[in-house]
Amino acid sequence: MSDAPDTAARPADEASLVAALNSTWFGANLPPDTQVRLGRLARRYQAPAGTVLLAEGELANELGVVVSGRVSLRTLVPEQGMITILTVEPGDIFGQSAVVPPYRATSSCVALQPVDVIALDGPGLRAALASDCELAAALYPRVLQALARRLSATRLQMLDLFASRQGGKW
Amino acid sequence: MGRPEATARPRLGVAKFASCDGCQLQVLNLEDALLAIAERIDIVEFPEATTHRSSGPYDVLLIEGAISTQEQEEHVHKLRRESKLLVTIGACATAGGIQALRNWANHDEFRATVYARPEWIESHAMSRPVADFVKVDAELVGCPISQSQLVELVTALLTGRRPYLPDEALCLACKRKGTVCVTVAKGIPCLGEVTRTGCGVLCPSYDRGCYGCFGPREQANAKSLAGHFLLEGIPDIEVGRLFAGFTAYNEPFRTAVTELGGTRGATPDAAWAEAAAALHRGGHDAG
Amino acid sequence: MVATSTTIGFLPRADLQGLIDLLRQDGRTLLGPTVADGAIVYDEIEGVADLPAGWGSEQSPGRFRLQERGGERLFDYAVPPTTWKRFVFPPEMPLSVATRNEDGTLTLGPAKREIPKLAFLGVRACELAALGIEDRVFLAGPYTDEDFRARRNASIVVAVQCAEPASTCFCTSMGTGPGIRSGHDISLIELDEGFLVTAGSPVGSAIMEQLPLGTPTADHLSAASDQLVAAREKIGDPVEARGLHDRLLAKLDSPRWAEVAERCTACGNCTQSCPTCFCTTTVYQSDLDGVATSTERLWESCFNEGFGKVAGGNFRYRFQDRYRQWLTHKFATWFDQFGTSGCVGCGRCITWCPVGIDVREELNAIAPPSGAVLTLPEIKPVPPPRPGIFTIASKREETPDTTTLVLTKPGGMDWEDVRGEFVMVSLPGIGSVPISVSQRTPEGMVLTIRNAGPATTAITSLDAGAQLAVSGPMGVDWEGPLELAHGKDIVVVAGGLGLPPVRPVIDTVMNDRDKFGAFRLYYGARTPSDLLYKEELAAWSARGDMEVAVTVDRADATWLGRVGIVTYLFDQASWDGSKVIAFLCGPERMIQASCNVLQAHGVTPDRIFISMERHMQCGIGLCGHCQMGKFFVCKDGPVFSLAQLGDTFGREGI
Repeated sequence: MSDAPDTAARPADEASLVAALNSTWFGANLPPDTQVRLGRLARRYQAPAGTVLLAEGELANELGVVVSGRVSLRTLVPEQGMITILTVEPGDIFGQSAVVPPYRATSSCVALQPVDVIALDGPGLRAALASDCELAAALYPRVLQALARRLSATRLQMLDLFASRQGGKW
Repeated sequence: MGRPEATARPRLGVAKFASCDGCQLQVLNLEDALLAIAERIDIVEFPEATTHRSSGPYDVLLIEGAISTQEQEEHVHKLRRESKLLVTIGACATAGGIQALRNWANHDEFRATVYARPEWIESHAMSRPVADFVKVDAELVGCPISQSQLVELVTALLTGRRPYLPDEALCLACKRKGTVCVTVAKGIPCLGEVTRTGCGVLCPSYDRGCYGCFGPREQANAKSLAGHFLLEGIPDIEVGRLFAGFTAYNEPFRTAVTELGGTRGATPDAAWAEAAAALHRGGHDAG
Repeated sequence: MVATSTTIGFLPRADLQGLIDLLRQDGRTLLGPTVADGAIVYDEIEGVADLPAGWGSEQSPGRFRLQERGGERLFDYAVPPTTWKRFVFPPEMPLSVATRNEDGTLTLGPAKREIPKLAFLGVRACELAALGIEDRVFLAGPYTDEDFRARRNASIVVAVQCAEPASTCFCTSMGTGPGIRSGHDISLIELDEGFLVTAGSPVGSAIMEQLPLGTPTADHLSAASDQLVAAREKIGDPVEARGLHDRLLAKLDSPRWAEVAERCTACGNCTQSCPTCFCTTTVYQSDLDGVATSTERLWESCFNEGFGKVAGGNFRYRFQDRYRQWLTHKFATWFDQFGTSGCVGCGRCITWCPVGIDVREELNAIAPPSGAVLTLPEIKPVPPPRPGIFTIASKREETPDTTTLVLTKPGGMDWEDVRGEFVMVSLPGIGSVPISVSQRTPEGMVLTIRNAGPATTAITSLDAGAQLAVSGPMGVDWEGPLELAHGKDIVVVAGGLGLPPVRPVIDTVMNDRDKFGAFRLYYGARTPSDLLYKEELAAWSARGDMEVAVTVDRADATWLGRVGIVTYLFDQASWDGSKVIAFLCGPERMIQASCNVLQAHGVTPDRIFISMERHMQCGIGLCGHCQMGKFFVCKDGPVFSLAQLGDTFGREGI
């Protein structure tokens, strides 16, 4: 993992983790035992602005839930450099490739501000989702909703509605 | 605004391909208005008007004529590179012209019929509009172009506004003028509904139907018009011939010509003709 | 005889020339029917010999043929291709002239026009109704066409009652004929021996008094009555017009529109033959130097490509949408706009459609209650605003293609009690464009303009000190919704070039902050370099009493702000929508997405206000281009509530 975020991971303080998760729209109001199960798969870290949390193409080992701060999703367009295609605000997730095959990050996630992140362990989460139906039933809809929201945004961005449409000289 | 300075005068050129020179003649026919234009634009190349030869670069290049030979095809690419604004003028440059009727025929046969030594005549099988080969920035349609539209284009270029070159049916101009519709009142076939305005209602003013020399208008519904003529009892080949005029090669005239056998020796497609006529059969009051 | 409104006189046929001579007195030109070009047209009449004696007309969809009937009767044809409209509402008319002087100043003026004295002979009942409909369109306001008024006032109308309708007539269904009721100065009923004459106005009475009229006999009167009954029976009742408005508007998704569009060539003949169609277009002209300039007004058609075109595309690209616009306007939304049907049942659109489309057939049998008039709110009509000359005091480049112009006027602007959302900005010889007023100042106004075409590019290229012609402001502005917002929370959603039009909302709230609750601005642009009002955004943010959230569609790595769509700025917000008034401006698709999110937050459609855009050309509701369903965007809007728009909003091709 390149440029690893604060790897001096503190042991998860479960209660405060659950509280932090609850403060995000992704993780709010999950059933209590789901929260506990997630808590066991989670670690919490802070990282300064500029940290590359996940690089495009590398294995996504963690699904991140942003508690505070802004994360940018960037992709490389060789003639133009790194282009930011979306920013992820508090409450939203990044690194969802951790639960979607082939588990490789589809864009780079870079902290634009100091961030506070709850990171769910990828392999552990995948195993738990495969075996724990209640966890799967609670979590997959959330992931789906986050992705659907992102898809509808992508469509509108694609339409380039703010572009000036002058066809030809006149 | 005010007058442009002498040193900043745009360079205008006129080039000719396969054409009758009629559109260039329209430029000359401007007479005094041309003098006024020449005070504001440097006309550096104009074969119809002067033996003086020049070459690019051009701020504005007017191109008359269709691309009919390999030499012309290569030359137009060169001209495109040398021109800031490339404007095609006339039915030949914008639609391939009347000579595009050969596009439906056997080219070798034509050459052999017309020329004693057909092997000396190098030409493409098709006569095609300039836009098929290079990007065209603006066009003046018509056969020949309209003088007032030419002045309008030049004025717009000089002053920086959008030229008023409406893409609407000729019918609008007829009605504004108060001309009685020759089709409705006399049963004379007229292409005005599917033809772009700009000629000033030349033909209907003299009791004949428009023959489409300004080319198809935006989204022209040629099939519907063809169907109407068929229901009026005009044989399919003759309906096809109506569209086989100076702008035959532009769609949708091209399809109408092809499907209705509008060129010599061609066979009409009965299914297409029937479908066109059927559009009106439900509500059409025969007669 | 002394004529009163109930007096009927009898004019022997031999004495008709006397009426013609009276109508031609004092240099008045008499226009009437005459045979020409295989039809009957309205042209100058000098004597009875010019009238179409013994001629009739045979009309059917797409077909008109003169019929030789023989005999002396003059008016046994049904409506000809010409309409009286062309004499009071000319097909081509000079509008204004202006000079662009070398020092950048402008000199404006109206074009010279002559209003000829005219008399119309042979106006049918349907045509009288059409003139009455035009009176409502052009004179009932909010803006009036004074040229039309002058031409109407300068014309004497001599009506003739139909005896021989054509198979295309349906005035009976539309409640306009064949009997003549009102709108005429004199009315004639042709009998074999002569004419029954009645007056419909003091002008008519004065003329009647000078005619050698006798008293009609009982036979005359019954012949007239029989003629009318026969005419009525011949027409029948081809269109079920009761409830037509509602039934037509309920069928906006009918598959029939696509079917008729396969036949329709969008040639515009129906609109040009129609005696009530009023849409026009303005053409800008100049000499080669752009110094002496003028504008001209031409008849236009909603079937033309340029009608629904704006900088971003064409709202009515498909022919089926254009046909639907025409038919629903003529038979349905005309009621909403003007209180009557737009159609008088003259049948011209049927006869003169070259491919023979018949509106009666297309209408599928409907009818409005005969003579019904909806009550419209009281409007005080005013003449169109005259342009004022403004000078560019300073310019600021917001982005490479958007410029803010600070305009001033000698003497400044008195904005007290002045309503209006946009102005028409004109650079003579180049063009005229509608621009929302971003700021009102005592010296003038501030406009932010994007280079969307030659006219806007020319305007933004002017230097400080140059002059522009500006008329207005006009249109429904944000003031009404702002009054609703006192004590409530406000959400403003702006996208791209949508921020300048909504700026007055921000300024009003900032100047009177205590009157309003929480204030949130959500603004999206294409890229960081496309953000407008960057300094103001920072200043508003710094105030501390409003929330400002900005996003862009994409950015490079130097941008540390948000990237994503505008709705991301508030779709996960936790504010309570029940106390929110929302103001939106931007591309329509963005507005749609934002409205969905706002409604999900509990903001109801009556509290969502949108500035809509269509092709606004005249700016005063007379050229017809900006119609959106029953609304004229320039005068019923551009600010609408979502509730007001109903299912007009978000519908293709409307």
